[in-house]
Amino acid sequence: MPMRILRAVLRTIRNSRRLAMGLVILGVLVLVALFSPLIAKAIGGGQDPIELAAYDKWQVPGPSHLLGTDQFGRDVFAMVVKALAVSLQIGAIAGVISTVVGVIVAFVAGYKGGWIDNVLSTFTGILLVIPTFPLLIALSAYAKNVSLFQVGVMISIFAWPFAAKTIRSQVLSLRTRPYVDLARVSKARDLEIITTELLPNLLPFIGVGFASSALGAIFGLVGLEIIGLGPGGVIDLGQIIYSAISTGALTLGAWPMFVVPVGLLTLLFAALNMVNIGLEEVYNPRLRGVAGE
Amino acid sequence: MKSELELRGVQQRFHARGVADGYITAVDDVSFKLLASPPQIVSLVGQSGSGKSTIARNVLGLQKPTAGSVLYGGKDIFKLNRAEYDAYRRDVQPVFQDPYAIFNPFYRVDRVLWKAVKKFKLASTRAAGLQLIEESLKAVRLEPENVLGRYPHQLSGGQRQRIMLARVHMLRPSFIIADEPVSMLDAQVRKHFLDILLDFQREHGMTTLFITHDLSTVYYLGGEVMVITKGEIVERGSVATVMHEPSHPYTKLLLDSIPQPDPDKRWTTRIQVDELEHLDDNTLGDATKPEAPII
Ligand SMILES: Nc1ncnc2c1ncn2[C@@H]1O[C@H](COP(=O)(O)OP(=O)(O)OP(=O)(O)O)[C@@H](O)[C@H]1O
Ligand SMILES: [Mg+2]
Repeated sequence: MPMRILRAVLRTIRNSRRLAMGLVILGVLVLVALFSPLIAKAIGGGQDPIELAAYDKWQVPGPSHLLGTDQFGRDVFAMVVKALAVSLQIGAIAGVISTVVGVIVAFVAGYKGGWIDNVLSTFTGILLVIPTFPLLIALSAYAKNVSLFQVGVMISIFAWPFAAKTIRSQVLSLRTRPYVDLARVSKARDLEIITTELLPNLLPFIGVGFASSALGAIFGLVGLEIIGLGPGGVIDLGQIIYSAISTGALTLGAWPMFVVPVGLLTLLFAALNMVNIGLEEVYNPRLRGVAGE
Repeated sequence: MKSELELRGVQQRFHARGVADGYITAVDDVSFKLLASPPQIVSLVGQSGSGKSTIARNVLGLQKPTAGSVLYGGKDIFKLNRAEYDAYRRDVQPVFQDPYAIFNPFYRVDRVLWKAVKKFKLASTRAAGLQLIEESLKAVRLEPENVLGRYPHQLSGGQRQRIMLARVHMLRPSFIIADEPVSMLDAQVRKHFLDILLDFQREHGMTTLFITHDLSTVYYLGGEVMVITKGEIVERGSVATVMHEPSHPYTKLLLDSIPQPDPDKRWTTRIQVDELEHLDDNTLGDATKPEAPII
């Protein structure tokens, strides 16, 4: 089963150049993030390059500080790399939570049907129409000094209904397929049908659900931070952009502090969207340029 | 094992919007009995929407009737204990209409056969299982090497439908519930399929409930026939009797609607039968329409 899924994933990637591109970019960003402690060490040469007053403040980009230093004398390059790791982690946490919750709710609602579906769908629907951003703003007022994980959880509360909604409609259409009936007359139980007949065919949708909620979480947080309402204690890309804006870094010649995080976020946005579109291309053959296989 | 399958006053209603009382009655007070021995072929014929598939789903335990009951060996199929349920599942097996949709596009076609081997404990070793699968594929005139290891979209409709027959062959149920199994196959493959069903009846003593809207296949199979319209069975009897002396006006209507061949008109291009014979596995296999892999 896992081998089969892996093979299917590889087959999918071969079928879509966009998906492959998106995954490659994402992979590079993740690698950079994974190596962020090493990069910090290399820059600091023994000391922590993002400690307050580690260096002189507002140094312009040069050989010793590729992207210069900020208002507290921290190395911007090391900071950006660390912030990228934080942003990705928040995206991953929120993405995983939203996807898992969304998938479970979608399967229970879609497969069981009846009043269970009614209750869950209504609940999901309510969460969907609640204006998320103002609520997040309100929440962040209470969320000073929260941990990275808490931020991820907070954001995923609002992200899972999107995943649940798309996946539920797919479950509804898949559960009446004749192969589900065949499984039932072959004595397969509900859980077995869900995991072996339905889930594999939903992988692309689950992938889309994950990518969109990760995207939503990362950018939702950036949105909060740009307007100065980010939860304290977590330094992600949005936080750096905010401090670049609020300190007027651009006028001080410290443009990398603004440009580099924005560039990284753009790259991340493009990569996640390419994954989304690529997956959509594969499962919706009408969007495909050439027929695969 | 001597068993029988009986429908007793089965009624199936569905909620529907835009209908007078909020529901439609797809099956209305249907009763009939299928006997495992002597093996028989019972056709259920009726036009689209008459409730045929719903009856098949009731019999297969996929849909619980709103009223009445389906009895296997005299017991309600929705109230069987574990052992009885296992026996029922093994003994009542389907062949469905759409040979495309019956396979999960995610897996190779071998899987439905292996599932049967495992779920019904047909073999204790992998080798024995494989032997069983190959035997059954040959019994439905498929070459194992041509179908095993392939994905559903790489096979023709006829091949896929015969894999379902191979599955039935492995399980040796007393009852086959075949819901329009040939309606999506072309004439030659269709005859092939019906012959296999007749073989199963003769050689393995299987009773078939054959659901169709096509009277010519009913005629070809012979045996008994029931005519259904608007969820009600309006006529039943041997094929010969019903075809020649229909008693219900609906049956007459159905018989009249068969296009009669006009001896004055001839096909300009005649199709040679031996030409069609070659249209077997391989030619059809290549001619399958390319389908999108789901993932
Ligand atoms: N799950 C369902 N929900 C609501 N209505 C249904 C459902 N299944 C069947 N029906 C309705 O019941 C009636 C009988 O349907 P059924 O599929 O049994 O007909 P059929 O004789 O098999 O037709 P066909 O020859 O087209 O396959 C139809 O009016 C159909 O719309
Ligand atoms: Mg039908």
